[in-house]
Amino acid sequence: MALVTPFKNKSVLILDDMPEARTSLRSQLGSLGCERIAVSATVKDALEQFKNERFDVILADYYLGGGTDGQQFLEYLRTRRIIGRGVLFVMVTAEKGYESVVTAAECLPDDYLLKPFTADVLKLRLERLLEKKLRLATIDKLQDKGDWAGVVKVCDDIIGARDRYLVDAMRIKGNALLASRRAEEALEFYRQMIARRPLPWARLGLSRALHQLGRDDECKESLAGLIRESPQLMAAYDLLGKVHVASGDPDAALGILDSACAIAPNSLARHRAVAAVAEDKGDFKRVEAALEKVVKKTRNTPLRETGDIARLGNAFTENGEPVKAVALIEEACKNFKSDAEDAHLAAVEAMAHQKAGNRDKAEAALTRALRTDTAHLPAGAAMAVAKACLTAGKRDEAHGILKTLVQTHPEAKALHDRVSTVLRAHGAGSVAEKLVAESIREIIQLNNEAVLKAKAGELTLAAEMLTRAAQRLPGNIQIVANAASALLFDVLTNGLDAEKVLQAQAFQKAVESRDPAYPKLAEIEDLLGRIRSTFIVGRK
Amino acid sequence: MEFADLAAITIHDVKNRLALLANRADAKGDAETVRGAMEAALTLTRLLVYYRSEKGQLQADIDAHVPADLLQELAAEAGRETSLALRFNAGDAPTLWFYDEALVRLVMRDALYNAMRHSRSAVTLQARLSGDCLEFAVLDDGPGFSGELLGQSLGMQALSREGTGLGLYLARRVARLHDSGGREGCVELRNEGGAVFCLRLPR
Repeated sequence: MALVTPFKNKSVLILDDMPEARTSLRSQLGSLGCERIAVSATVKDALEQFKNERFDVILADYYLGGGTDGQQFLEYLRTRRIIGRGVLFVMVTAEKGYESVVTAAECLPDDYLLKPFTADVLKLRLERLLEKKLRLATIDKLQDKGDWAGVVKVCDDIIGARDRYLVDAMRIKGNALLASRRAEEALEFYRQMIARRPLPWARLGLSRALHQLGRDDECKESLAGLIRESPQLMAAYDLLGKVHVASGDPDAALGILDSACAIAPNSLARHRAVAAVAEDKGDFKRVEAALEKVVKKTRNTPLRETGDIARLGNAFTENGEPVKAVALIEEACKNFKSDAEDAHLAAVEAMAHQKAGNRDKAEAALTRALRTDTAHLPAGAAMAVAKACLTAGKRDEAHGILKTLVQTHPEAKALHDRVSTVLRAHGAGSVAEKLVAESIREIIQLNNEAVLKAKAGELTLAAEMLTRAAQRLPGNIQIVANAASALLFDVLTNGLDAEKVLQAQAFQKAVESRDPAYPKLAEIEDLLGRIRSTFIVGRK
Repeated sequence: MEFADLAAITIHDVKNRLALLANRADAKGDAETVRGAMEAALTLTRLLVYYRSEKGQLQADIDAHVPADLLQELAAEAGRETSLALRFNAGDAPTLWFYDEALVRLVMRDALYNAMRHSRSAVTLQARLSGDCLEFAVLDDGPGFSGELLGQSLGMQALSREGTGLGLYLARRVARLHDSGGREGCVELRNEGGAVFCLRLPR
């Protein structure tokens, strides 16, 4: 029989730790006419393959051995945007059960394939899934771009057609409404959905809408009911934990996250969430317990994160075991070159040495920590460096770092509280409120001035102001995006300036890498298009 | 290590080996071995599901699925492994219905292999709307269910007619897990020119 198959041009990656299983699946795919097949035995090797190849289909076994599983692999790929929504991910497993314990909708595989299956079944299933990807391709692209209004529109068309993709389209539409914070509409949409069929994902969506609307009591009640009836739905625990934290009840949050960990003990994200809540609360015993699990599970795997080691080291120090912290960090730096340059680790090491009474070593570690421009660090790391500075009596440096941190996240109330707490803990309570308030005021004023200048036609000045601010606060996505826009407006009005366009494009790229769905990106792209058609028409 | 944990790991391991065996036989066109391996794997799945059910851990993960797809896959899987005429008829089935695909697949596969053991010449897989329920059915042209089996309602009776009865017990458990608006799913057995196994799932 001649093979005319839809698989011929599809690039497939097989991930399975068992050699016979890889061979077997490969030959099944071969019998379907698949020609582009790559195989990997480990997550590490699979990630290497992504550097050279774009895959259309990934078939990953759930059990991978060595502390990793297919679900962790999928979460890694999706959260780091290594694969878009258009890539088909199928989890291969011997039984359904443990695997259905999943974090969030975006980390669900497209399908589960239960072993054993024949080549005929594999063919039918892949055909169907590829057909679905094709039908939802427009939506996938819009979702990857974060064009939520577009997503809702296309979903409505599919819902109107009432075909086999009806419920898929409804699920995506609900998520799009929530992602674009159209909470009232989302609430009504999920209410109608639930009246027809109270599916767990619809009930979760309803709870999300309630949370967005600030109706946290109703949200908690809704989630508690959902968890009772669908105890496998991990995302419900995650949301309930978040709502408890937001309403100032970290103990309740920890309780709920603990019960989730009991059901799905392998989920790294949840142990990390426990650590984050406990750290905020100052319960470093809990931080230590949660992160020891994470560090142990991820040791020598690509899922390892330096931040976990830094936080665990900090917990050791806080728990009165600075020597243990130093040993942990030294081991990390010995085995991973990049860790030796890591500012967060160096800051934690400095604090540990300080506590252990090794002042010279503390000084040396802090010097290493300060070698990095802290404006580029994630909030937790910047905070650690500031704390190390305060511990070593370097007040000015600490205040500078904290000011930048607040200005990078001028709307993150919880973070501002943490900044105040850190300052108070180091005897700087009097400056705490002032530092936070001043930093925020300064950033609002800067934005307002730039807008006024732009409105008054002083576009070049506005662009310069924002460019300087964006270079000082590279993590403030709003400022960086505004700087890009201002530069492009300036060019459009005052004439082509290659340097300004390049700078704007660099800002655009920075915004994209942080949040490809950032709303202002559409405006930037539009401005670039207008500049192209105004100045560069006909030039190639 | 608890016996149950060890058993779970062992079952998992054996299923992986059976999968390899089935695939190797499949590649050689050895339908009989494929069927043997698939049936053995099914027996183990049943055991695991039973264990979860006894521990109170069996939950239906209900979502929207396409009934016709399920029947087509079951027919494709078993069709190569039998000389019987295997038909599937989903012409009167709704496009989408709400159920736990993995559990319903287990029940239907069990009923299908059972029918294949007793049928003379043909087995039909069917999905259709019946009242306010989706009715999945397996029809054979064999001697039919025994009077004893037709008279019983719940508990551990033999669906496999020579087996442990686990299949029917689980089918009923799975049916009951599919509740909607106060109504539960159910299993019906009847004789109608052969045995007819029905799994009815409420809207």
